[in-house]
This record gives sequence, structure tokens and C-alpha cells, in this order.
Amino acid sequence: MGQTIVIKPQNRFNFSDLADIWRYRELLYFLTWRDLKVRYKQTVVGVAWVLFQPFISMVIFTIFFGNFAKMPTDGAPYPIFVFLGLLFWQFFSASVADISNCLINNQHIITKVYFPRILLPISLVLTRFVDFLVSLVILIGLMIYYGFWPSLIGVLIFPILCLVSAMAALGLGLFFASLNIKYRDVRYVLPFFIQMLMFVTPVVYSSSILGKYSWLLAVNPLAGVIKTARSELLQSYDTNWLQFGLSAAACVVLLVIGWLYFRKAERYSVDTI
Amino acid sequence: MKDFIIEAENLSKKYRIVHLEGGFITLRDKIGGAISHPIALLKSLKHNTREDFWALRDINFSIEAGEIVGIIGGNGAGKSTLLKLLSRITPPSSGQVKITGRVASLLEVGTGFHPELTGRENVFLNGAILGMPKAEIVKKFDAIVEFAGVAKFLDTPVKRYSSGMYVRLAFSVAAHMDSDILFLDEVLAVGDAEFQQKCLDKMEEMIKNKNKTILFVSHNLPTIKSLCPRSILMEAGRIIADGQTEEVLEKYLEREKIKTIEELV
Repeated sequence: MGQTIVIKPQNRFNFSDLADIWRYRELLYFLTWRDLKVRYKQTVVGVAWVLFQPFISMVIFTIFFGNFAKMPTDGAPYPIFVFLGLLFWQFFSASVADISNCLINNQHIITKVYFPRILLPISLVLTRFVDFLVSLVILIGLMIYYGFWPSLIGVLIFPILCLVSAMAALGLGLFFASLNIKYRDVRYVLPFFIQMLMFVTPVVYSSSILGKYSWLLAVNPLAGVIKTARSELLQSYDTNWLQFGLSAAACVVLLVIGWLYFRKAERYSVDTI
Repeated sequence: MKDFIIEAENLSKKYRIVHLEGGFITLRDKIGGAISHPIALLKSLKHNTREDFWALRDINFSIEAGEIVGIIGGNGAGKSTLLKLLSRITPPSSGQVKITGRVASLLEVGTGFHPELTGRENVFLNGAILGMPKAEIVKKFDAIVEFAGVAKFLDTPVKRYSSGMYVRLAFSVAAHMDSDILFLDEVLAVGDAEFQQKCLDKMEEMIKNKNKTILFVSHNLPTIKSLCPRSILMEAGRIIADGQTEEVLEKYLEREKIKTIEELV
């Protein structure tokens, strides 16, 4: 005899949710695998698109911001400086955009089968993380070309930076996905919002251009990640660990709020969607 | 005392019907409305245009392990809502259900099939979505393909399949899933006559195994009669009759007759 489940109206977040995710880990794998598999079907160059996008962005930003505008980069060559920022930024922004539409895009599944809904957003982050890893090839190429050696701390902290970005994307994405169930406005607001967010994130510029106000960026979770990545991998300045700690803490808060909100919304998502 | 595998207590589901002017609700409409008609907004808070609709009302039943139960009733009786509640797709508004065992819920064939993926890939994806462990899919893969009869097209994207091949493969994945409890919603009627018969045979095989508890929603009364010893009749979200299929069917037909006469008069 299997385990007994009780289906009740009130079903708040509890820690058995996490056990549920573990139980459904194979589905998580298959959802991620599906998204990766489907994405570049019927394309000619296939997975090369993953490399193409950040690479072209880097070239364009280098020409305009690096050569013409001569953005200060704290000593690092502009291409590698901007690419490091873009790498994390694109992982974050693409994940947020994907997650926001996850319930709507999968409504044919969620109205017919039960599984922990949180698997959908998590699988999307994983899918984008695979892109991130592929793009890492370009970063490694650039580092060799410009002769940069990351510090030991840089190598060790890198997975943590990825995790913090993923948490931030998940937190914000879950919030938007929940709103999206009821208000389809999210679809129109989001691209604009993400663009605005890019301006307040030191992707194409260095946070040092803000001078003594640069600490303001600490509330932006991605700012801490990108700054730390630059300082540790390019060793252009000392890492502000306090600021990074604040960013990471902000990410955790964002994730918890997003998750709770999503948990509340997902229960009635099928009835409202 | 008997062991019940499914126990529903006072299960109810309320839907809120919002009477809209039409279209989606947008934030802009809400904000715009609040600015241009603040008084109307305050009024609408008092007398809102919402209406409660009970899709299910105080449903009580218990099912023992190994029972095959048919659920019948006219359109809008709450049959599908009941299965959705039991499958955990949507939560009840009040009451509760206790379910013991592994549940397979087939409210539709081919849930999660992706048109761009091949037959082989879709078997794995669909199986995983239905809740089959990967090892189980691997073990049953050949049986699934053989039953569906699509071996030749396994590595073709399913968007190139004929609709018959598509549903055959979809049914086949679902039919090969191991579970203690099975919820079925009219999924039987797929494919051509020959394949339908094959599906029915498969169903009967599952039933004869006696180790599965099945809840089966259908409009097809002969099928219910031949497969389910017990039936539940629903009407307007309530259970009207629960018992031996023959008696329940009689009652159903009687009520339908009265309804038809009322409509004629």
C-alpha cells in the first residue's frame, strides 16, 4: 500500500514541498531536456545560436561603449569586461522572461496532470543555465586571449555567483508568473521592465562611475554578482564582500517572497488561467 | 471494517463567476476605472458582480481497493470537476479526500506531447509527465510501441503523424502505466474501431487483474455497464445515486426521461 495523501482546501507552503520536488526530479530532468531539445529544432546552425547572441552583443557594445564612449572599466579590456557582465545578465533576464510565461505556456499540461508546479520555473532556469555554460566557452577564450588568470577565490566563488543569479531570476520570475495568471499585462510590461533593469545593473558600465553612490546598486542583486565576478576574475579591484553579502541576502529574500507568492497563486492557477 | 482507498468527505468546489463587460481584466482597466468612476468602484465593492457557482456540493463516497466505479451524469453535472479534484489539479473549496496509493490520472490522452519531438522522445516525456519513473518507461518501451503500432515512425516528429497514430501512441503510454488507482475521463474512445476495441480489451485486462481501483467518467452507458459493477450518478454537482450499475443506470434514464418530458411540455 502506497502513502496516503489528503487533499484539502488549505494547502500552504511546507517542507514536504521540497521532498515533492525531489520525488519528481526525473520529470524536472525531462522538462529541461524537452526545452533544450525543442529550442533549436528546424534551425540551421542549431546550438550555435547560444554563442552567437552574447558574442554579437559583446562586439556591438565594445564598438559603441568601449571605442566611442570610452567607458571606464577599472583597467580591464572592454570586450572581456562587458562579456562577463552580459553572461550573467543574459542568464538572469532570459530566465525571468521564460519563467514569467511558464504557467501560461504549459496550461495544456497543468490543467490535465498534477505535479509540483514549481518544476516548470526550475526547469527553465536549468535550461538557461545550460546556455550559460555553453557561452562560458567564449569567456574562457577571451581570458586566454587577454592573458587573465582568475584567482583561486574567483574559481571557487563562481558557482556561488551562478546560484545567486539563478535565485534572483527564480524569485523575480515566480512573482511575475503569478501575476501573469490573472493579468496578462505582464507580457507587455516585462520586456520594458527588463530593459530598465539593465540600466540600473552595471552590465555595460562599471559601478565605479557612480562614485560614492555605487553602494546604491547593492539592492540590485545582479549588481553584486557582476561586480564580484569582475573583481575576482579580472582582478581589477578588491571585492566588496559586504556588498556581495547584501546582494546575496537580497536574492534569498526575493526567492522566498516569489516562492510564497507563487505557491499561493498556483493553487488557483488552473481555475483562473 | 473495510479498507477504503479513496474517501471523500463533504467535498465541495466553488467557482466564482465574474460578470465581465468582456475581454480580459487588465490593470489599466482597473486603475482607469478607479480614477474615472471612484464612486462606481466603491459601489461595485459592495454589490460586486460576482456570482458563486457550486460545481460540486457535499460529495461523500468511499471506494474500496479493486473497485471499478463508473461516474455518469449529464453535461455540467460535475463529473470532470470531481476527477480534477481527485487528481490534485485544482484544490477543493471545502471538505477533503484521502487517497492511498499511487495515482494515475488520464483526463486526456497525450498530455504534454510536443509536436516537434519524435515518437520515441514523446513516450519518455509523456510518461514522465504522467508520473512514470524512467526505469519503468525503459522497461515497457517495447510493449508501448508494439501496442500503438508505430514502430516504423518512432524517430519521426509527432507533428508528422496522422491523428490516429498520435492518439494510439498517447493511449499506449497511458495504458502501460503502473498504478494502484486510475482516473479515466472518456479517454477510451480513441482511434478507429479496431483500435478502440484494442483499448477496451486492454481496459478489461486491467480490470481482471483486480489490483487496480478505477474511477471512470463516461457518457457511453454500454461501456459503463460492461466495465463497472458500481456506478455513481451525479447531477448539478451532487451525488444522486450510488450503487449497482444497473439500478443507477435505470434511475439515470428515468430522470432523463422526466427531463425530456418537462422540456417538451
